[in-house]
Amino acid sequence: MTLYLIKILIFPGLLFLFILSLIGEYYDRKLYARMQNRVGPPWFQPVADFIKLLGKELIIPLNADARIFKILPVFACVATIVAYLYIPLFSKTSLLPFNGDIIFVLYMLTLPTLSYALAGWYSRSPYALIGSTRVLTQLFAYEVPLFMAVLAPAILASSWSFSELITFYQTHNWLWLVNILGFIVAMITLQGKLEKVPFDIPEAETEIVAGVFTEYTGPLYAYFRLAMNMQTIAGASLVAAVFLPFGFGSCLIVNFVIYILKIAFILFLLALMRTLFARLRIDQMLVFCWKYLAPIALAQITLNIIIKAWL
Amino acid sequence: MKIVDRIVNWARLKSPWVIHFNTGACNACDIEIVASITPTYDLERFGSLLKGTPRHADVLLCSGPVTRQLKDRLVRIYEQMPEPKFVVAVGTCACSGGVFNGCYSMLSGIDEAIPVSMYIPGCPASPDAIIDGVVKLLKEYEKSLKDKK
Repeated sequence: MTLYLIKILIFPGLLFLFILSLIGEYYDRKLYARMQNRVGPPWFQPVADFIKLLGKELIIPLNADARIFKILPVFACVATIVAYLYIPLFSKTSLLPFNGDIIFVLYMLTLPTLSYALAGWYSRSPYALIGSTRVLTQLFAYEVPLFMAVLAPAILASSWSFSELITFYQTHNWLWLVNILGFIVAMITLQGKLEKVPFDIPEAETEIVAGVFTEYTGPLYAYFRLAMNMQTIAGASLVAAVFLPFGFGSCLIVNFVIYILKIAFILFLLALMRTLFARLRIDQMLVFCWKYLAPIALAQITLNIIIKAWL
Repeated sequence: MKIVDRIVNWARLKSPWVIHFNTGACNACDIEIVASITPTYDLERFGSLLKGTPRHADVLLCSGPVTRQLKDRLVRIYEQMPEPKFVVAVGTCACSGGVFNGCYSMLSGIDEAIPVSMYIPGCPASPDAIIDGVVKLLKEYEKSLKDKK
């Protein structure tokens, strides 16, 4: 029981995710800066930002519903942490494995997005309202390709559980390479889920101030930023577990190093995308996701069904 | 000073987020402010980010003498910022009114509307001067905290 609690609260649960998310933010911002030929923030920057926001004054708008306004940031954090507990990181099974946990994790990772939308709605500010409608519109664009892309490897392994999927790919060496199309789709849609630059339409600074977070100050905004960072790590872990299912065989330390390398690789790709592209319009994003990403994900599923007949 | 206050003050010094507000300038200072956040000058070295909303910002960068039309809006934006907050007047007009001093439709300088923590003169103030000003503001804040202790 104690060991279980330590696993949930410290390693590889709450505290580990907290530290990893701060490191992830630094890594992302530093890479982004270096790709733009500048120095970038010092190593303690995410910690300083977080503490500074916690120490600032908290303003709640007069028209906003104070109770929901305060609960939503914490709700987003908790949903992400719960999702992270069900993803296998460096052992074949997660902390709380059960059959169907891939679908569960996907749905838990949708909850922070919904809480952003509700936060915009309950702020009672025109900018936040536009932001929240954009969050929801964008959700309908990227969610379906992401689900299809993530479920394609699961179809090949004929199981909805992470541990069985990883065992399947361990017995069939190099078979995970056929999921490369799905991997690309998942990376692009993950960028949309995290609301980073090509798809940062919901918080487009030049258009709608700060989108759904316009009215959030101090500690509450700190929790939203934390939820965003933790979502980055949880999303990267999900993609790593499903599309790069190798390196679970040897001892724990080697597995851990391989896990960190995988996360670093995925965050590098996300930062690269952030540097290379400019923001799309919301209609361009919808057309791109439904016209190109969804058919590619569907092609991946078809390919996997055909390969399955050969196995 | 308690250890928690110390940590919070350290964090405040290391992450000044700025918001930029044009209070009736001729646009030259605004271009220089925007230039100072481009990769060439790299304000993120000091942990500084440009924010769109006053709710997230710590430092309000104002450029231009305050027009009478804008005064109410400036005060409102200032009051929307959460404590602790600082105001930096960028450019000669923002410091003293400049060539607009005594004009019937203008106040002469930001400090007639809201309290100002740091003045950066120049017509327009160069990006180097703006960055230097923000860094000096942080140093002054650190010094004032030490004096209080």
